[in-house]
Amino acid sequence: MKGKNWSALVVVVVMLTVALSGCVTPSAPAQPAAPKLPESIVIGSLEPLTGAHAVFGTEAKIGTEIAVDHINAAGGIKSLNGLKLKLVTEDAGENADSAKLGAESIISKHHPVAILGLYISRMTIAASEVTEREKVILVADALVDSVTTSGRQYLFRPAPKASQHGASAVQFVVDSAKKAGLDFTKVAILNEDSSFGRSNATGAMDAALNNGLTIVYQKEYPYDITDASSIVADIAAAKADFVVHCPYFTDAILFAKTFRETGNIPKFIVGMGASGYTDPESIQALGETAEYYANTFSYNPAKKTPQNEKFVADFKAKTGHIPTEAAGMNYYAAWVLKEALELSGQMFPTDPLNPDNLRQAFLKLDLTSGPAVETYPGDHIAFTPTGDNPDAKAVVLQVIKGEPRIVWPLEDAEVEAIFPRPDATR
Amino acid sequence: MNTKQRTIKMLPLLVGLVVALIVPLIVGKNQYNMVLVTTVLFYGVLATAWNIIGGMAGQLDLAAWAYLGLGAFTSGTLLLRWNVTPWLGMILGGLVAAGFAALVGYPLFRFGVKEVWYALSSAALVEVLRVAFLMWDEVGGPVERYLPFHRASWYHMRFASYVPYYYIVLGLLLIALFVNYRISRSKLGYYLLALGESEDAAEVIGVDARACKLKALMIYAFIVGATGAVYACLFGFIHPSFFNTAQSTEVAILGIIGGMGIVYGPLLAAIILVSGREFMRANLGSSLESLYLAIYAVVLIVIALFRPQGIAPLFRKAYDWLLSRVVGERYAA
Repeated sequence: MKGKNWSALVVVVVMLTVALSGCVTPSAPAQPAAPKLPESIVIGSLEPLTGAHAVFGTEAKIGTEIAVDHINAAGGIKSLNGLKLKLVTEDAGENADSAKLGAESIISKHHPVAILGLYISRMTIAASEVTEREKVILVADALVDSVTTSGRQYLFRPAPKASQHGASAVQFVVDSAKKAGLDFTKVAILNEDSSFGRSNATGAMDAALNNGLTIVYQKEYPYDITDASSIVADIAAAKADFVVHCPYFTDAILFAKTFRETGNIPKFIVGMGASGYTDPESIQALGETAEYYANTFSYNPAKKTPQNEKFVADFKAKTGHIPTEAAGMNYYAAWVLKEALELSGQMFPTDPLNPDNLRQAFLKLDLTSGPAVETYPGDHIAFTPTGDNPDAKAVVLQVIKGEPRIVWPLEDAEVEAIFPRPDATR
Repeated sequence: MNTKQRTIKMLPLLVGLVVALIVPLIVGKNQYNMVLVTTVLFYGVLATAWNIIGGMAGQLDLAAWAYLGLGAFTSGTLLLRWNVTPWLGMILGGLVAAGFAALVGYPLFRFGVKEVWYALSSAALVEVLRVAFLMWDEVGGPVERYLPFHRASWYHMRFASYVPYYYIVLGLLLIALFVNYRISRSKLGYYLLALGESEDAAEVIGVDARACKLKALMIYAFIVGATGAVYACLFGFIHPSFFNTAQSTEVAILGIIGGMGIVYGPLLAAIILVSGREFMRANLGSSLESLYLAIYAVVLIVIALFRPQGIAPLFRKAYDWLLSRVVGERYAA
């Protein structure tokens, strides 16, 4: 081979290198020097806006947007001279790959101090590797227990985790039975086969055992199940007083229909983990069969506080319906973040946006009033070092005359629960 | 072909290799760009490996993520249970995937399952494995299993930057390309080509179709399985959702769009389509939700309509044209 060819090759390579380096976005500048505050505090919303989970992610994004508007309208972060929040949003796609890419992309483009997202647990896990490395606070709205069990330092989850949903569902039935003077001792626990379903069921089992109940039947089934009759027959044979169930969506409809068609309706059926029995689509699909079904929820749209009423009104004006769980969770999550920024400003006036300082502020949070608590399902927000709030509680909705109504906890109830089911056959 | 012509033919390969090697020097500081190029190469490996069974042997395989998941679970479980390094897990994961491919492939090919029926069986395989691993609580189960969380550990194949992952995936890609190239020049390659054209005709002239297809399937499964082990380390967990039918189909799409049977075709398709889609997701995803998926679909349809033989021949033509302009007609490949 002649020398001439090689020199041509080198020229091409050098040219390509130069051309490529021109195309590439310049790498991230270092975080601004400590004491100097930026013009606004950038926070990100990274949610699944496309693909299978888009319906939840879109609601979540709207919830965050309204929260940021409200926070800014209320004067921003007061301890930081009224600094405003600036929201940047990005689509996280529908799988772990796109979640990771989304996290890297939103961080390298905008350098947010915190990110809210990503609703789906495995997407949250993939993205949290990035937020941990970059030390960006991740305010998670994925409820699966394992999200907070892997030693993440910069991850906080204000919403009740899945096992707290399971526990709330059982506690609701125990409270209601006591109030009605009934002796409920035997429970059947069902869940679809995702990590979400499993976490819910685990919480329900613990709560059942703590309440001295006997678990007479327990089943994990595939979420796309097409025939529920054998499970329903088994529940009847086990003589369960009530059923605690974590369905997805279509399986909730299938089970409700099967309970009715086979005439094996237990004294009560309560769903855990938001999806399933009481969301508007299920009620529409089930018609009258939806009546008396109950479900836990991470947000209470009926909570009678000024802040919540304002949120519900603004959300309704924007979308035409009341906030769903994903929207509500992100609304109060954004307010929790606001309170943490506020506290960080007081605790570390010289460097409030430093991720380690902000993390300290999160851990020191102890909220019992204010907009975050006013929209929160519970009355106390404080985080353990793992990032969960042990005082988080799910509320319970029951379908009464075709409308989902808050029936538990009793102090927040809109109406009294219809308990036990008047149409129970067993 | 004289030396000069050979040099000219090899030029894109050399340039590509040099560019691939120095990419981290250019974009390495920006983690997003780095994870993007790693993801593109990752799909490049899968599509290039798919070329062996899909492009060369002509079997429309839709089970890429079945083998990827098996590799990920093998390596991840070995690491979680017995602290076996993923470097070894990679090879074992590849072997498990290849072994499983043999178990599935033997009866399929033995009973002459081909064309759409092969495609359907392979797609079903992904779903069967997903459900099986969901139910197999000792290894899988519905709860995500985290790999040990380290900021950096060579032993655990965990790094704080994507640069090492990039080079690992690049290594796998070079292996996949090399294997492709070697097969295309070997007896097996010609047999496969003959099979892809017409299986009956090939069998009449004495090609052992069953054995050839099984070999191709196992080689493909091995490469994809080994890649799965790296995938698990990159994402830090294993979960039955790795057995993903949609992403498996995507691998086949890249292989087809790239140009069936052309060694570098699937890689070209991965570079163009994966980065293009990601660019649209990052820039349009949060404003015009889902629009980018529609655009992506339209692009695929247009290519399928107007370039049924894939985009690789188009690139070859463009390169030839460029050469004829630069060095004269004489040397054009």
